[in-house]
Amino acid sequence: MVDLSVQLGPLRLDHPVINASGTMEIFELAETFGPHVLERPPVAAYVSKTVTLKPRAGNPPPRILETAGGMINAIGLSGPGLDVFVKEDLPRLLGLPCPLIISIGGFSTGEYEVIAGRLQEALEQLVGEGWIERAGLELNISCPNVHSGCASIGSDTHETGELVKTIRKRWPGLLVVKLTPNVADIAAVGRAAVSAGADAIAAVNTYKGLVVDRVSLRPYLGNITGGLSGPAIKPLALRSVYELFDAVEAPIIGMGGIATVEDVLEFMSCGALVVAVGSAGFRDPGLAGVLAHQLAVALDTRGLTRAGLLGLAHRPV
Amino acid sequence: MKDGSNDTIEEAHWASDYRMLGSVLNNEPQGLMARLEVEVPGWRSAEPGQFALLQAGSSRCFLARAVSVADEVGARVSFLIAPVGEGTRELCALNGGDMVWVVGPLGRGFDVDALVISRGRAVIVAGGAGVAPFPLLLARMARRHRALFSRPVGEGPGGPQASTLEVLVLLGFRDALQAEASTLLREVAALACESGLRCRVEVAIEDGLRGPAEKVTDLLIRHLRSGDRVAVCGPTPMAEAVWSICASKPDVRAWFSLETGMACGVGSCHGCLITLADGSDARVCKDGPVFLGEAVFGG
Repeated sequence: MVDLSVQLGPLRLDHPVINASGTMEIFELAETFGPHVLERPPVAAYVSKTVTLKPRAGNPPPRILETAGGMINAIGLSGPGLDVFVKEDLPRLLGLPCPLIISIGGFSTGEYEVIAGRLQEALEQLVGEGWIERAGLELNISCPNVHSGCASIGSDTHETGELVKTIRKRWPGLLVVKLTPNVADIAAVGRAAVSAGADAIAAVNTYKGLVVDRVSLRPYLGNITGGLSGPAIKPLALRSVYELFDAVEAPIIGMGGIATVEDVLEFMSCGALVVAVGSAGFRDPGLAGVLAHQLAVALDTRGLTRAGLLGLAHRPV
Repeated sequence: MKDGSNDTIEEAHWASDYRMLGSVLNNEPQGLMARLEVEVPGWRSAEPGQFALLQAGSSRCFLARAVSVADEVGARVSFLIAPVGEGTRELCALNGGDMVWVVGPLGRGFDVDALVISRGRAVIVAGGAGVAPFPLLLARMARRHRALFSRPVGEGPGGPQASTLEVLVLLGFRDALQAEASTLLREVAALACESGLRCRVEVAIEDGLRGPAEKVTDLLIRHLRSGDRVAVCGPTPMAEAVWSICASKPDVRAWFSLETGMACGVGSCHGCLITLADGSDARVCKDGPVFLGEAVFGG
């Protein structure tokens, strides 16, 4: 069987399938499905739900709706905030047998900086020097469901560069920047992030959209707009990954509608070193593990290696 | 049926440690609803009021649907499903031998002991498709009742713990056709009676074609006594009306099974959030779907 392990900066992943931030609560899964979830997580690295500085209630309901070939959500970065994350979640998450990628979101550069600083202190305290091989950071500059910060930073190459530069100065570990596709030129934002010091690019977050209630003919979601995900966005996401692969040297974590092993092959061919399962994990929380297994079989069947597959779409037939 | 944008679920029937692949044993219409009986290898026994995420093996929908567990015998699990949208219509159209994806059982169900070990009566109140979780609840109440109150062999009548429990099942339907959804529940009620649980079923039909035009809340107003313990499932306006009736009597406790749109069913997506009476948030899928009435509606 093909060796699927992959090096993502200082993190060693057993296979290249992880989760998209905000789509998997691993402790909730363990409560429902049993301790095997924590002993053998389906993901090769666990990406946390986005951590914000202060507790956030998130958006008013309704927050989700199925759409043709996908779903739309407007959760709005709800969560208990940094203090609770550091005290309650971080120690448990570091007990997982796979690396941890902590997604963080802020409403100003200063907030990202404070969160990164606190996380670094906590990781040094909890793990010691070796923490860099255990945990990385993902800057969420792409949530479409909050009304300031976040995606407004990620929609601007200059602001993106400045934020990444600031965090890079103080964060020695893996630094992933998660991009919004709701921009004219995602490759330009990716270039700005990488030249400011990002180690990897995650692409893409959800597409900003709107659904109308069939009875009232008014916007359905409490937040009016939401983020579209699922197979419906896959060709859009593939295009972004394809363009980013040409634009940056840094590894790409590809996502956007991944539901089958064929999707994984396509994202890797377009340039994703690692892929993330998002909303398709809602119908099967074990999907990432299934896809990793199927990827090994698919590579074997096709006589391909992962290195041969990476960026294949960019090479002449 | 396959195109480039659709997933290839039919080709890739890979069950995970999380999602099981069941096969439909039987699909029997019960009025407007379907009773889908599914063999689910790996099924863990459900608490009454728990649900499963179901998705037809050849579904054209992206997400699975949350469906109450209506009954179970080992790995043979029954679901009562109302065809309210595309996903549930697919499930209602399945035939014997068809495959269905199953994640579950999920959520927090009804507290059987709180209903069985009570000085008052246990009252089940269901409206329309809200009948779905109650065959399993009634079966479990009968089982628990038997375990608690059946006399040890050789002991004479009037043993140490004589049961005073009486279960009243109040059902409301729009019309006689919809009322056929109570078939499974009536079967379970008959078995419960045979096993020694005093159990009575009353049905209110709203259209008044074959009797008085009544709502289930009319039945509840007629029957509810202080000290009763109530399990409720039905449309939101009915649930609110049931709560105000319950709240008007002293010492009545009521548990409500709620329904919302759900994506993950396991607490991951934070999509099914509701705001409780005290202002705190709860996820219907993980913190519920069964909640105490005062937690949802306030005192």
